Amino acid sequence: MKNIYLFLFVVFFATSCSDDFVDVTPPFAINSETFFESPEDYDLALIGAYDLLSATYVNVLMGEIASDNVNAGGESPTDVIGWQQIDRMIHTPVNSNIRDLWNFNFAGVQRASWIIENEGKIDFEGKDQIIAEARFLRAYFNFELLKWFGPIPIKPSGQFELGDELVIPRSPVEEVYDYIESELLIAIENMAPTSLQTGRANQMSARALLGKVYLYRERFPQSADQLNEVINSGMFHLYGTRGDERYEDLFEFIAENSGESVFEVQYTGAQGAGFDCLQCSKGNVMVGFSGVRGYVGPVFESGFGFGLPRESVFNAFSEDDLRRDVSILNIEAWAAETGASFSIGNQDPVTGHTGFYNRKYIPRINNNLPDANLTQPNNYRAIRYADVLLMAAEALNRGGIDDELARSYVNEVRNRAGLDDTQASGQDLFQLIINERRLELVGEGHRFFDLVRWGIAEEFIEGFTAPKNNLFPMPFEEIGFSQGNWNQNPGY
Amino acid sequence: MKRGSNFGKNRLVMLRYLLFFILWLVPMLIYAQGREISGVILDGSNEDPLSFANVLIKGSQTGTMTDLDGNFTFQNVPEDAVIVVSYIGYITKEVQVTDDDYYTILLMPDIQMLGDVVVIGYGRESRRNVTGAVSQLSGEVIESLDPPNVAQALQGTISGVHVTQQGGSPGSESNIRIRGISTNGNNAPLIIVDGFQFEGGLNSINPQDIESMTILKDAQAAIYGAAASNGVILITTKSGTRNQDAQFTYQTYFGIQETSRKLPLLNATEYALLLNESYANAGLESPITQLTGLGKGTNWQDEVFTRAPVMSHNLSVRGGSENTTYSVSGSILDQEGIIGSDKSQFNRKTASIALESDLRENLNLNTRLFYFSTTNNSLNSFGLGSVLFNALNMAPTIDKDVDDLTGEINLGNEVVNPLTQIRNTYNESTTNRLSGTFQLRYDYAPNLDIQARMGFNTSLTQNRDFFPVFNYGPGKVFNRLEDNQVSLAKINDNDYTFDIFNTYRNIINDRHDIIFTVGMTVFQQEGSGLFGISTGVPANSFDFADLSVATGSGDNLNANSYAYDVRRLSYFGRLQYVLDDRYLITGILRRDASTRFGPNNRVGYFPALSLGWVISEESWFPRLDYLDFFKFRGSYGVMGNDRIPDFLYLSLLTGQATYVSGNDGSLINGIAIGPLSNPNVKWEESRKLDIGFDIRFLRNKFNLVIDYYINDTENLLIAGIPISGILGTAAPGSSSPTINAGSVRNQGFELEFTYQERLAENLNINLGLNFSTIKNEVTAIEGRDVLEGGQFGVGQLAPSRMEVGQPIGYFFGYKTDGIFQNMAEVNAHASQLPLGANAQPGDIRYVDINGDGVIDENDRIYLGDPIPDFTFGFNLGLQRNNWDLSAYVFGSVGNDIVRNFERDQANVNKMSYRLDRWTGEGTSNNVPRATVSPTTNNVFSDFFIEDGSFVRIQTISLGYNFQNDLISRIGLNQLRVYAKVDNVFTFTEYSGFDPTASTGVPIGGGIDFGFYPIPRVYMLGLNAQF
Repeated sequence: MKNIYLFLFVVFFATSCSDDFVDVTPPFAINSETFFESPEDYDLALIGAYDLLSATYVNVLMGEIASDNVNAGGESPTDVIGWQQIDRMIHTPVNSNIRDLWNFNFAGVQRASWIIENEGKIDFEGKDQIIAEARFLRAYFNFELLKWFGPIPIKPSGQFELGDELVIPRSPVEEVYDYIESELLIAIENMAPTSLQTGRANQMSARALLGKVYLYRERFPQSADQLNEVINSGMFHLYGTRGDERYEDLFEFIAENSGESVFEVQYTGAQGAGFDCLQCSKGNVMVGFSGVRGYVGPVFESGFGFGLPRESVFNAFSEDDLRRDVSILNIEAWAAETGASFSIGNQDPVTGHTGFYNRKYIPRINNNLPDANLTQPNNYRAIRYADVLLMAAEALNRGGIDDELARSYVNEVRNRAGLDDTQASGQDLFQLIINERRLELVGEGHRFFDLVRWGIAEEFIEGFTAPKNNLFPMPFEEIGFSQGNWNQNPGY
Repeated sequence: MKRGSNFGKNRLVMLRYLLFFILWLVPMLIYAQGREISGVILDGSNEDPLSFANVLIKGSQTGTMTDLDGNFTFQNVPEDAVIVVSYIGYITKEVQVTDDDYYTILLMPDIQMLGDVVVIGYGRESRRNVTGAVSQLSGEVIESLDPPNVAQALQGTISGVHVTQQGGSPGSESNIRIRGISTNGNNAPLIIVDGFQFEGGLNSINPQDIESMTILKDAQAAIYGAAASNGVILITTKSGTRNQDAQFTYQTYFGIQETSRKLPLLNATEYALLLNESYANAGLESPITQLTGLGKGTNWQDEVFTRAPVMSHNLSVRGGSENTTYSVSGSILDQEGIIGSDKSQFNRKTASIALESDLRENLNLNTRLFYFSTTNNSLNSFGLGSVLFNALNMAPTIDKDVDDLTGEINLGNEVVNPLTQIRNTYNESTTNRLSGTFQLRYDYAPNLDIQARMGFNTSLTQNRDFFPVFNYGPGKVFNRLEDNQVSLAKINDNDYTFDIFNTYRNIINDRHDIIFTVGMTVFQQEGSGLFGISTGVPANSFDFADLSVATGSGDNLNANSYAYDVRRLSYFGRLQYVLDDRYLITGILRRDASTRFGPNNRVGYFPALSLGWVISEESWFPRLDYLDFFKFRGSYGVMGNDRIPDFLYLSLLTGQATYVSGNDGSLINGIAIGPLSNPNVKWEESRKLDIGFDIRFLRNKFNLVIDYYINDTENLLIAGIPISGILGTAAPGSSSPTINAGSVRNQGFELEFTYQERLAENLNINLGLNFSTIKNEVTAIEGRDVLEGGQFGVGQLAPSRMEVGQPIGYFFGYKTDGIFQNMAEVNAHASQLPLGANAQPGDIRYVDINGDGVIDENDRIYLGDPIPDFTFGFNLGLQRNNWDLSAYVFGSVGNDIVRNFERDQANVNKMSYRLDRWTGEGTSNNVPRATVSPTTNNVFSDFFIEDGSFVRIQTISLGYNFQNDLISRIGLNQLRVYAKVDNVFTFTEYSGFDPTASTGVPIGGGIDFGFYPIPRVYMLGLNAQF
């Protein structure tokens, strides 16, 4: 019996240790419970929301491939199969590239929402501006998603949480528009007219975006109002029309964040990147992907040869249109002129080599870090003044508001390109605007969505079926995740 | 001879069991007066004296033990008596007393009996009384296989244990799976070395230091609670023997390795013809116009594969005095790769010291220290961009000396000259690890002892990688055109396991045999990593690849670090009770608290109960001559798996938040949410049922163990569970949360059979056979129908799935139905356009599973799975006179493999089966046409799935033991030389390099990215004792 007591005593003595031992916090790590407690935290979180702008390269390149401007290109007719299928308009819900676009843009929405949902945690000078920028970014990403997918789930109060995909429906397009507009209106109210830092959004970027949203919704007076505010602010001008600016440099490094830039996505080659996380690259992935395959020669660097402008768009320019050679590189002529060499990848007649490259966004010689194809530092001119002028002109014309003002905006753009004034008005002016938008904005990812909102995509894009192709399919995986909450877009 | 760390103190316990056993063998009592005899008991294999052996007069209770030199003396021996001599681990022998007064008795080692006492975690149990499914691998088997990595010794030698290598690259680790894949997370078993949790890979351990490995396969492992659900491997290292003179052992081998297979590829002429045909079929010009003189071109496989040496030395000395034992050993292993020779090598140095001593009569100290140092150089050895992948896909028309592929045929951006790649690979990884344990055992009262153990691992890993400036050709992803780069890493991992436990043992009234253990374990693991990267290495040379001389600055000079701290606090109790030597019961309860789990689920309880019944002990059981032992046992218990990343319940702000300043293009860093958190995260729970029989018959010559088991794992922690993109997990540095969301059932049948006999005077045979079936089924996934994983091709849907009702990680894709022979067949069939292109004659026809008239993603179906239906192993040993021969064979049947090493690019080289392509109606119904125009022939279908069944002759070795009288002249006790071949031959239909290699990933395993084949090795070796 004595032994039993001894045993129990030893057991008790030897095994008395508290569960506090396992109550540890991770060493040197910050967690969300203790965040948003100083103004700096809001600044830091805002950078996180801007981060995802880098990933919108996919919107631009894929949007361009979807249009009648370019061939998918690449190494072979199956290289980046998702893009090849979009080029042929045979894409299906199974498309990792469309899914990337969904994922990347919603990641941007989510990061902006993180700031917005913590809006009330502390008060400080300058908070309104930060929240307003976050709202701008959320509106920017949501508008992209609206353009591609139509109805999307929205959650104005804050971040999506696990399970929301089962209950939050895809809001009808009109509701999404209302939501984006209200976000931008709040943002405009709280934003300084000029950027706090070059590259960040300001009141004018928000007005320009709102004007574009209204234009897509065909609310022409509201659109014209917002865009006129931008134009009349006097903050912007067409590059090449002031001082020693040269129009030919518009897409060169020297003209980044110029007077033409209303909102510009910033890129750099100062951080390396890899294929396993393209959205992590701080370089413009579209640029490397658009570069001339196997290029050796002056001015440019090589790339993967995607997004090859078609001869039809090259020929759409008149000979004296300065924009043609700024927008499109005729590689054979260039090679003959400079002695550069290059190789040809995809030779498929529908999606392959054309002899033309998107000169606005192909790599220039620079010292970006590896993988050099993914870290090209060319900024993307997301909303440029020429676009604002043409959008304003369209709103004024189609809204029957002021054709004369509309014409003057169009002429401003034409004159810079070395073209004469137009005298067109009414429907003729609209037809001219349609053409000017194509020529001015080729290679910048706008064409497909313009054709769709004008209702004329079927005329221009081979394989396009309306209304099916007005929208892209919801990613196959997302339909599964929602377990019946979200339906596929019609026709897919 | 089985001698564990606490052998000295446990021996009496063991002897007691043995005594019972012998008493049971001897039902009659015979008393008589007689004379005195004496003698010596020697080990029949080496004639070493056996101290403390049992010597008994048959039919009496008169017994004695041998002394240190193996001598015994008996008084009052009756005439015609029979002496029964027994010793643990040896075959009991009966000797008829004759007129002689002095007897020299040789006992032969009993390979079956070697495992007579097994370690079961926080204690030992006699093999006879074990109530769980416990298998043991003896040091002899390890020695006879002698693999560089001891995990390979488990391959095919133990039922229910499935080992796959992560490729044949030197130093590559192995995946060990005990009773199947029970989680989509970490399936690695818990490894305990001499009582402490071992957190290094098994390849850092010197196999020759291992005395035995015990595998706890069922609820017996519940004593390890939240860490036990993948099974537990208990490793006992060698120690010295009491009262033994210093015994030196030297072991060495030298081997040549070569590839076990090369794949049949097209030669230059075949390649050019087929390529031109594929362009012509797409209406394009031929890329190769000059066909004459191409010949066979470059055989890239011949260029990459080399013969490479492997060499090992091991020296040890062991011995002991009356109160103390010691063991000191050191080893060196040097292995070069069959690809890239010294660019791919593994070097391991180990040293160990073990000291065990009775400090007082009731106080025993046992210490062990292990030092491991490994150096590894490695090539990118698997996946897209690996050396082998390049060797398979590189055009044979290109000369082997062409480093820069400018102007050569375009092979895409990934395929480069593999020889150039090898030359440009510079890296070195070194790990220095010190592990050890200090154990004190204090017998503080009769039948009671307390043990305190402190085990630890501390390791420092240093990696150095250098990427020189090099141009492989335009657009190649491996290019570094601007600047070279050096990256350094220093990773420090430390852990300790502190155990304190009490044991009560007693036998009450000769019928109640009780062992009660209760105690606690504290486990803490902490560490940190520090990384630096810079460009600007002088002279573009590895010789200067250090941050101190690199000139990078600004964004070209980066540093990073991390730190972690993981803890587990456990209490446990176990009762082992034996009634009347035949009714066995073991109960276990463990309570674990772990930092890995959220505050809501921080503590778990893990109970287990197991029962045994030695039926052959029952009085009513017929005394059959041929049946020696028959035990029935069953166990049921609950275990956990806590092998998940830390702090999943906390939302850490580890996301990448970087944007670019518009002013100067510099990077601005912010803060963002990292992986999504799950506050409710908890351990995975396995419920394991096992029913088994242990049978020995024909005088223990045959030994049969049969088990049937059902393991249900619930609350599967599904890491990176694919979730909707709206949750923002595609953001840089973010990822999906880990959720307890699934259940998997593994069930199967296992059989182990051994046979050993002395067939003739000088001819011994032993045979071993094991066989395991496994049926794996996913039984639930909460909130979703499937989880996907794995990778096939580029940009394709995930090929592997976890789905309710199917085996985990099964392959999901399109089912093929031959080749379209003509346009009429194409038109008659459902449209394949949704897969990416309209079908043409010569394309693969896919089955319209849902019959909706189009082939799309909804027509995918089960195509196979990587889980074998059954696996088996077979070994044979023969000893005749001085010769010994052994062979090991293992195999796997019913597992499928995905062939994923053919790059889907127009101009790369192809495997030679492509010559049998469709070229017109009736030409082929298996291999599609050659064309570079877009087709749907490369979508994931059963065209890429092959039967991965195989039988491998793993080892054949032939040894010769020199006569004692010959070698004693040169001071040796024992000398054996042997020749051995590893990976002798593999019978398989599989067309890739090696059907045995696997990444071991639960969802996405069985996909062959061009595995580095496991080499065939021809070896000569020598073992000497002096």
